Amino acid sequence: MRDADWDRLLRQSLADAAEPGEELNESLIRQLKERNEMKPKYKKRLSVGLLAAVLLLVLSVSAYAANQLFSSKQVAERLGDRMLAEAFESKDAVQINQSKASGDYRFTLHGLVSGASLSEFRQSSEELYPDRTYAVVSIARQDGKPMPNTADDEYGLDPFFVSPLIKGQKPWQVNIFTMNGGYGETVIDGVTYRMIECDQVEIFADRGVYLAIASGTAFFSNKAFGYDEATGEVYAKEDYSGASLLFDLPLDAAKADPVKAEAYLDALLNPSSPPESEDNERSANTVEDEGIARIQDVRAKMRAGERIGETIPESIREMTSDDSGKLKYAYDGWSPTISPDEYFTEDQVGFSERFSISGKDDVYKALLFHKDENGVITGRIVILD
Amino acid sequence: MDIDELIELVKLHGKSIYGFCCKLTGNRADADDLYQETFLKAVELRFKMDPSRNPKAYLISIAVLLHKNHRRKLAWRQRIAPTAELGEAADRLLVPLASEATPEDAVLSLELRAMIREAAHRLNDKLKLPLYMYYTADMTIEEIASTLRIPPGTVKSRLHKARENMRKVLEVDPL
Repeated sequence: MRDADWDRLLRQSLADAAEPGEELNESLIRQLKERNEMKPKYKKRLSVGLLAAVLLLVLSVSAYAANQLFSSKQVAERLGDRMLAEAFESKDAVQINQSKASGDYRFTLHGLVSGASLSEFRQSSEELYPDRTYAVVSIARQDGKPMPNTADDEYGLDPFFVSPLIKGQKPWQVNIFTMNGGYGETVIDGVTYRMIECDQVEIFADRGVYLAIASGTAFFSNKAFGYDEATGEVYAKEDYSGASLLFDLPLDAAKADPVKAEAYLDALLNPSSPPESEDNERSANTVEDEGIARIQDVRAKMRAGERIGETIPESIREMTSDDSGKLKYAYDGWSPTISPDEYFTEDQVGFSERFSISGKDDVYKALLFHKDENGVITGRIVILD
Repeated sequence: MDIDELIELVKLHGKSIYGFCCKLTGNRADADDLYQETFLKAVELRFKMDPSRNPKAYLISIAVLLHKNHRRKLAWRQRIAPTAELGEAADRLLVPLASEATPEDAVLSLELRAMIREAAHRLNDKLKLPLYMYYTADMTIEEIASTLRIPPGTVKSRLHKARENMRKVLEVDPL
């Protein structure tokens, strides 16, 4: 293949026809405007707080954490979710502001809020479970060094697992991953803020709910946490190399819903049918896969010298050459033009391995090219078996 | 650069930056995230941006940086459950529809293009990034050089190497 053809082919194949949806662009532009309004406020606040910063030097670490960290509301705002920011200020929200140290880090659980349609961003799982729980956790280094910014190379090198766990449920089975969870994260002034969300956990309030945090892993790790099958207690392992700790979530036991909780766990632990999305994916792939499978099947048969179908005798025609050296075939509506060197090597005799197939009403036809010992190339149509 | 100028960039270069994000991430959901985060990051960096000095290349370089980050999704909302690559499948299906060639050509090129995309996806970042920048984001050699902070000659040789590598892959299983 000539370089220019190859170049053209690459450009065609790699150009992406995908465009950002209008909705995506609108939401982006809205966010850009919001950030523009939001940014300077924080800057100003911090510069005015110079005196406070000097005072802070003589204050203890925990006081530093409590006073200087951003609130759940501010973090939600920062992550572009104004609705949720307001929810964190509502009477249903639980302000916690507890700090604990473990490993190299100091973790603060700021607050949490549960309910339906609290966030501007909807998850597909909300159709099934509309109620969700959101919580904000901050992570700071104990040695005072800043946490890496999201754009830094070091960012994410030491991953964190932050997840609610239910007392009495095996933590490797019921955690943020299985409870349709997700999170947003941002780094402000050297402190990482993570806002997690998952199906709501208040229904488990009577059983007891933990918020587990571990460093060195993004997933639940048996090295960081242990589970006592007899009591249903989850505990942080002391010999774990990284940070691992648990907060008890102060949920209102009156909000527990044992029936709902049982049904939820039943659906989670005993999934009856595969998720629908897999089916969609399968059907979306079928058309292309079928074509490719058919081509591969025919090619394998040709290589093995097996019969692939019935040749239409009158379709066997010698290709006509045009000025540029390309060959043209014409029969019954087929009229491809090919470059012979793309189909045959110089000394090749016989059928080309490259061919095309078209199908209609379950009848598939292949257009094959053949080169004889004199170098004459013919095309023919074969009705595939 | 102010916010209005940045919004203008969304309209002006959104399509090629989005296409680039699609190629880089391999699926629509992540591409949407990367695309948004690229512009949101640009808000923070907008004072460094000069409208007269190729803002598109600058935006692409932000996307590359964010993508390089192993846990790039963390800067914004992340769905932890693995996302199905529906976007890619739909994207692949678009090809025959968009093709103006005859049906038989379409089938041929469909298979060939899928193989080319696959071969490109398998390249390492060093070769893949300039390839996508050149063919997907439609950037010039000079723009790629300034984005990746490497000399133009290196860009050329990486592009050449990427093309050769892919050619070899495709020749192993010639169509």
